[in-house]
Amino acid sequence: MGMARGEALRAIAQHRGESVVISTMQVVQPWHALSPSPLNMTCIGFMGGASTLGLGIALARPDRRVAVLDGDGSLLMQLGSIATISGAAPANFHHFLFQNGVYETSGSQPIAASERIDFAQMALGAGYRAAYTFDDAGRFREELPGILDEDGPVLIVLKIDLVDEQVEWDAMRVDARDESRTVRRALLGA
Amino acid sequence: MTLPARSVPAQMLLDKLRRCGVRFVVSVPDTHQKSLLALLDGVRDIRTITCCTEDEALCVAMGMWIGGAPCAVMIQHAGLYACVNHLRGVGLDLKAPLFMLIGLLGRDVDKPPRENSGSMVRLAEPLLDTLGIRHYLVDGPEDVHLIEPAYRESLSGELPVAVLIGAATA
Repeated sequence: MGMARGEALRAIAQHRGESVVISTMQVVQPWHALSPSPLNMTCIGFMGGASTLGLGIALARPDRRVAVLDGDGSLLMQLGSIATISGAAPANFHHFLFQNGVYETSGSQPIAASERIDFAQMALGAGYRAAYTFDDAGRFREELPGILDEDGPVLIVLKIDLVDEQVEWDAMRVDARDESRTVRRALLGA
Repeated sequence: MTLPARSVPAQMLLDKLRRCGVRFVVSVPDTHQKSLLALLDGVRDIRTITCCTEDEALCVAMGMWIGGAPCAVMIQHAGLYACVNHLRGVGLDLKAPLFMLIGLLGRDVDKPPRENSGSMVRLAEPLLDTLGIRHYLVDGPEDVHLIEPAYRESLSGELPVAVLIGAATA
């Protein structure tokens, strides 16, 4: 058992401040519904790219906090990115991993080693400064502000229930190309 | 094109990257351009970010563009083949200005790349053509002048542009 995706996203939205947030896969629509912002960027069409897209922004803008809302299947597709991120060592980088153990978009086939995989251990092994795992929304809400005050890179694994809220965000549509320009303008003040 | 292709000194390439205003080189290390990578190791004004895959390198480069940090991607032809979907998604669909230096490792320098017997060299230009990606061939010091306009073209057109390095850098 874990927490509802929406509960975790609401907590992150509450504390995002002026962070740039990169979302991917199943969190894209709920995130946009819960936290609309010119600082939202979406990774669509190149699965696994969210973490390094965030890394690029974090390195370009060390004055700005960057949060990546990743999926477990997505991260596995570019697992080497945790070594790349660790090597670049961005202090302003928080990596949230929504772990539900399946490829939800394609019909919820289990990810490889879904019963045994430990992403927090992998992040620590790659050299992240810290890694946390939460399966309880209350505890996550409580600890999140302190975690966001820590220097990155930090991985925060969020164990998510498969049965999720089906709400208004199903109709949300995003255009990642437009978003990239919007975020760029917001960051560059143009 | 004057054959055989000749090595370009790494310092000459570094000077061009500086002229472009590049602050980051995002790389999956390329044997063909190793002298340039070695030179970059010792400079302070351009930071090299080493990635595990070319997919990652393209995403980092796009993120840097969003954040306003000029960068160049340095990869090898094998990496070009490996990252086709990300190149399509990031470069063509999202229209990220990806400026790429791509080494043609193993090229027979007496022949144009398209006439090389090895598929890795022979297919690089046709693949870029298929994707509709502009590319330029640097086959010696006399071609280095192509680099800065190629970089500007990528930036102003918001599109991927490739510079193929024809002979191993010196």
